[in-house]
Formats: sequence, structure tokens, C-alpha cells
Amino acid sequence: MTKKNSSHKSVGFSRRALLQTGAAALGAAAFPLPAIAQTKPFAGVTLRGASFQHRFFTLLQNYIPEFEAQTGMKVDLQLSAFPVYNQQANLELSSGGSAFDFVNVTFILAARWVAAGLLANLDEFTGDPNLTPAGWNPKDFVEGAQVPYRDAKGATYGYSWEGGAMVMGLSRMDLMEKKGLKIPKTFAELQQVCAEINGTDNVNGIVSFQLHHWCLPPYIQGFGGNIFRKPPADIMPTLNSPEAIQAVDYYANLLKNYAPKGVLTYTEDQARQSHMTGRSNIFIHSSAWITPILLSNDSKVKDTSRVVRMPAGPVHDYPAANSQGLGIPKNAKNKKAAWEFIKWALSPEISMRLVKEHGHSSVCRRSVIESEEYRKLNTVNGQDLGALYLEVLGLPAKGENYMAYRTVKEFPIVGDVLNKAFEQVATGQLAAQAAMNAAQEQAVANLRRAGTAL
Amino acid sequence: MSGGMTGPVRRSASPRRLVAIGVTLIMLLSPFLWLLQMSFKSNDLILQFPPPLIFTPTLQNYASLWQGAFAASFVNSLMSASFSTALALILGVPAAYALSRWAGRGKHALSFAILVTRMAPPIAFTIPFFLFYRWIGLLDTVTGLVLVYTSFNLPLVIWMMQPFFETVPSSLEEAALVDGASTRVVFLQIVLPMVAPGIAATAILCFLYAWNDFFFALILTRTHARTAPVAVVNFMNYEGWEWGKIAAGGSLVMAPVLIFSLAVRRYLVSGLTAGAVKG
Repeated sequence: MTKKNSSHKSVGFSRRALLQTGAAALGAAAFPLPAIAQTKPFAGVTLRGASFQHRFFTLLQNYIPEFEAQTGMKVDLQLSAFPVYNQQANLELSSGGSAFDFVNVTFILAARWVAAGLLANLDEFTGDPNLTPAGWNPKDFVEGAQVPYRDAKGATYGYSWEGGAMVMGLSRMDLMEKKGLKIPKTFAELQQVCAEINGTDNVNGIVSFQLHHWCLPPYIQGFGGNIFRKPPADIMPTLNSPEAIQAVDYYANLLKNYAPKGVLTYTEDQARQSHMTGRSNIFIHSSAWITPILLSNDSKVKDTSRVVRMPAGPVHDYPAANSQGLGIPKNAKNKKAAWEFIKWALSPEISMRLVKEHGHSSVCRRSVIESEEYRKLNTVNGQDLGALYLEVLGLPAKGENYMAYRTVKEFPIVGDVLNKAFEQVATGQLAAQAAMNAAQEQAVANLRRAGTAL
Repeated sequence: MSGGMTGPVRRSASPRRLVAIGVTLIMLLSPFLWLLQMSFKSNDLILQFPPPLIFTPTLQNYASLWQGAFAASFVNSLMSASFSTALALILGVPAAYALSRWAGRGKHALSFAILVTRMAPPIAFTIPFFLFYRWIGLLDTVTGLVLVYTSFNLPLVIWMMQPFFETVPSSLEEAALVDGASTRVVFLQIVLPMVAPGIAATAILCFLYAWNDFFFALILTRTHARTAPVAVVNFMNYEGWEWGKIAAGGSLVMAPVLIFSLAVRRYLVSGLTAGAVKG
């Protein structure tokens, strides 16, 4: 009986199974496309993105075929030079274009683009568990790097792919040790070290480059001043405050007395070259420009170099920090596909692969920067560069967002004026007070001419 | 001996004059020579101070240009400059001829109206062009660039060519017409050969305008139709400027204009100076 039943059951099962299999085969033959579409929801989509050329994207391009295979979409990533990209993206976004599905949100343009509503609110994507798994964790991005991509209400319009943290590189610690000098921790000590080292063994005390409105503000803030009264709410320039004048005087003296001739027109490359070859002892700039003294094969001072926090001012210790983010234009045609790409490109997995496989360390995911692998790769001569990078990058989010001056749309106008005023002081054409008084008047006039209500 | 009778008198230049010519030449050519020597240096050497004048040259910068996207940009530049020059000449030369032979009342008003398009700075046209091109799908295409350059070169051709046509005596055309030649034949076979220097000079100016344009190419292209001048700027990267490639790219950008100008220099000189002295 059991056997019979079993036999019947076996026959019945076989028939039903046969019918089911046949139906499934017919269904699959009749409707093959939906089945494929289910596994690759973005099949047939061409995703267009743009950014300025950067090592991050060059490396990412190696992995993009994997992403294309996973999702079925094709990625057309258009990379241009920094000024070219900014010009083109600004025009595209400002005119409500939909040519790009994702864009780089350039730090200096972030506030303008966010305030003008040119970007899509990414909280709509991160808040939807169907679009963003919990493991992606938006809070894993270093808070200081995310500040520029938020509006006044705290909504997020970009996620950072690169961070820049201002640090100090010393290339000739051997000379400093010979002279009994310690690493400077204050502005006064910085001046003293520059004075002592300058001219010794044909080494310059310090080197810098022509983007003074990036290098100078940490000194202005260090003395207690700022570029604007209280950015981003109050953007009245404060270029002729006593603190700003003191800072301009101080920094101009550093460059006049202890930097190579022609430093005012140096590019970042020239400054890095001077630093890496040991012709200049101190260089204070973003970590990506400083750490090559320890990491680059071209460095001639690997064994005598140190990378540390830049000296603190008498009032504040505000080293500059910035980041670059990825965002989605408001009128993008393929927003979900663009989010899929951003999610993938900035995932912890890809960030870690960039670190491990290519030594690309300027990522913005805290979990990656704090990982053991990252620490191993970025600890050179006993110096934990990752910890230093994380510390500085996170500072603007702790307490006052002192980098806010740089993300307001009025900054480029005031920054240009500041650049010129500083050059006048550093070349001895004007005293700091006269130059900064004139700069203040000029900045206010230029802002009013541009339609800014002060 | 006979040269003294038939051609200009040949005098040997005094040493002082030779020195003056040499110094002037060095001064005029120094930016170009500096760029050229930079293009054969490695980045390290370029940034060295004081700059070494004797060094082992390298072709690395040129090689890397052609391995990258610069070659495509160079071709884009060649195509947009050549086609726009040809199109401007095809449309502008007959128009200039017609205007030069027209004695009607509206001649000056029409000529002025044609020139008006060159009176505003290019920036005034950029945004309208950008929006219109986006709308009709010509953004980032060589065709789009050709149309822009043609529209800007056309008034130049018409205005430059008119005086050349005016120097051709009408009696020649009348004689040909009496002999049974059609207007087309008169224009193509009699008048055009006589204004060839003018056409060469105009063509060079048109080509130069299109070839050297940066602004329209920057705004109206992305990556597919990017031209050589924009591609050179593309070496100014966020992480550093690629000086060697900038110098090599700059030198290469100069090459076609130099070759073209040398090839037609005889026409260029006579074309640009024609009509300067009336007698």
C-alpha cells in the first residue's frame, strides 16, 4: 500500500513537475526580456557623469566594467581639467540642463549649487531602504567632509569622495635637529624655525604657492579674524579687521624673508617640487600635496621628513579642510541609476579597494580610514598619516564650521580681492593696513556690484 | 649685375643691422622657443631653477600626447577650422563679389548690417548658442563648431574680399562677357584667379580665428568634439599641471598654422598689403 501510494505519488509528482517545467519553459521562451530586466534593472541605461580629472576617477575607471556588468547600465564618465569642468558644469546646471546624470560637486561651488536648488536631495535615496541598504551607512562619511553638501535644513546634496586636510610637512628634520629646533606648534615658533633654517645648506625656510586665498585664511583665523563676519549667515567681508591685518603682515613676512624668490607666483607643483627635493624645509598645504615627501618615489627627503599638524594661532587652531562630492543634478534623466552609481562608487568596499590596491588614501569613509589595513599602509616612519588626516578633516564639524567662509557663493569674489591685496603687501607695494583697507572697500563694492545685499 | 636693372637692389647688411635683426628675432621668438625647449624636458627639469639650457631632450611628452585623447582633439580642431574656413569662403567670396559690383542704394546699409554681427563680443552670443545647440542637439559636435566659426568668419570674408574685387577692372569682365563667357565663368576663371592672394590672406585669418578659438570650444563642447586649445588646458589638473604636455601640446597647436602660413606666405604678404598704396 505504501509502496503503491508511493508509486502513485511518484507518478503524479512527475506529471505535475513535467507540466510545471513545461509551462515555465514556455513562459521563459515567450517573455525572456522581463526575466533579464529583473536581474539587471538598469539594462539599456547609459549613465552620463562629469567631473574634473582626478586620480580617484582614473582608478575608479578600472572598476567601472564590474559595475556595468552588475547593473547592465553603461557609464559615460566625462573628465575635464578643473577649470574646464567647473565652467561647463556651472553652465549646465545653472541653465537647468539634463545632460549629466551625476556630477562632481566642487567644494568652492557647493554652496551656490545647493542654495540655488540645482541638485537633487539625496536624503530621498538614503531614506528609502529599497534604494539604499543599511550597510551603506551615510553617517560613515567624515562629518567635516559632508558639511559643504548640506543645506540650511540639513538635507544632503552630495557625498564626498575626496578629502583635503591642511597639514605641515618638514623636509629637513636633520637640519632642525642639528640646530636643536623642535617642530613648531605655534605661529611664533614657525617664524623662529623658518628664520633659523633659511639659508642653511641652501635650504629655504618655507615654501608656498600662488593660491593665497587658500593658504592665508588659516592664519587670519588663527589670529582670531575671518574672511566674512559670520558665514554663511552674515557675509559682510572683514578683511580689514585688526586680526586679518596682523595675519597678512605675518604671512607676508614669512614669504618675503624665508621663501624662495618668486614664491608668490609658484604653482602647487613648483612648491611641491621644492619641498620634495629638500630645497625648502616647510610646506603647509593639503595632505595630498604634503605626504609625497614621505610616500613618493621622487622624494629625495623621505628619511628626513615629518608630516604634522600645522601650527596653531594665538586664538584659534583652524587648519583648512575641504572635500569634493558626488551629486545628482535636479533635472537629471536617470536619477535612480545615478544614485546606484554613487552608492557603488562610494561604497565601503570600493573605498577599501582603492586604498588597498592603489594606496589612494584621501577617501572620506571613517570606517575605512580607521581600519587596520589603512593604518598599515599609511603609517610611514612611525607617522600615522591616516589619523592626522582624519583629525584635521573632521575639525570643521566640531564646534564652529570655520570652513564655511569658503563654501559661500560670495567667496570667489572676495578671495580674488584678498589674493591681490596679499601680493601688494608681500611685494612691499603697500603696508598691510593700507592694502587690507583698500581690499575691504573693493570687496564690498564688488559684492554689491554682483547684486549681493550686505 | 642684371639684377640691379630688373629687381630690387641687393645690399649686404651691415654688422650693426644684422645684430639688430638677430636681437629682434630672438625677442620675438623667445616665447615660442621657450615653449619648444620645455616640450623636450621632463617635468623635473621644467621646474628646476635656474632652468638648465643644456639638457638631454626627451620625446616623452609628445609620445604621451598621442597615446591620450589629444590626437582626437587635434583632429577635431583641424576639421572644425578647415571646414568652417572653406564654408565661409564658399559663401563669403561670391557675396563679396556681388557687393563690390552692386551699385544700388542699399549697398552700404547691407555691408554695415553684415559687420554688425562682429561688433558684439563673443561672450554675448555664447549663452544663446549654448541653449540653442542643446535644444537642437548640436552641443559637443564638430558640426556645431563649424557653424559657429562660419557665422563669425563670414562677415570677415565679405569685408576683406570686397576691396580685392574692387581692384579688378570691370573692363576685363565686360570683355569676357562680350566674348560670350557666362557670369559664372567670368567669376570663376577670370576674377577669382586675380584675387587669389586676397583669398589666401582671408583664408589664413579665418583659419586662425577658428583654430585659436578657446571660448566657444570650451562652452559648446564636452569630450567628443573637444578642440586642441581646450585639450591643452585639460592638462591643468587639480592634482598638478602637466607642464611637459602643456608645452608639447602648445607647440603642436602652433604647427599647422605655421606650416599653412609658410606654404602661402607669398600670397599672404601680397594679400595683406594689397591696396595699401594706391597709384
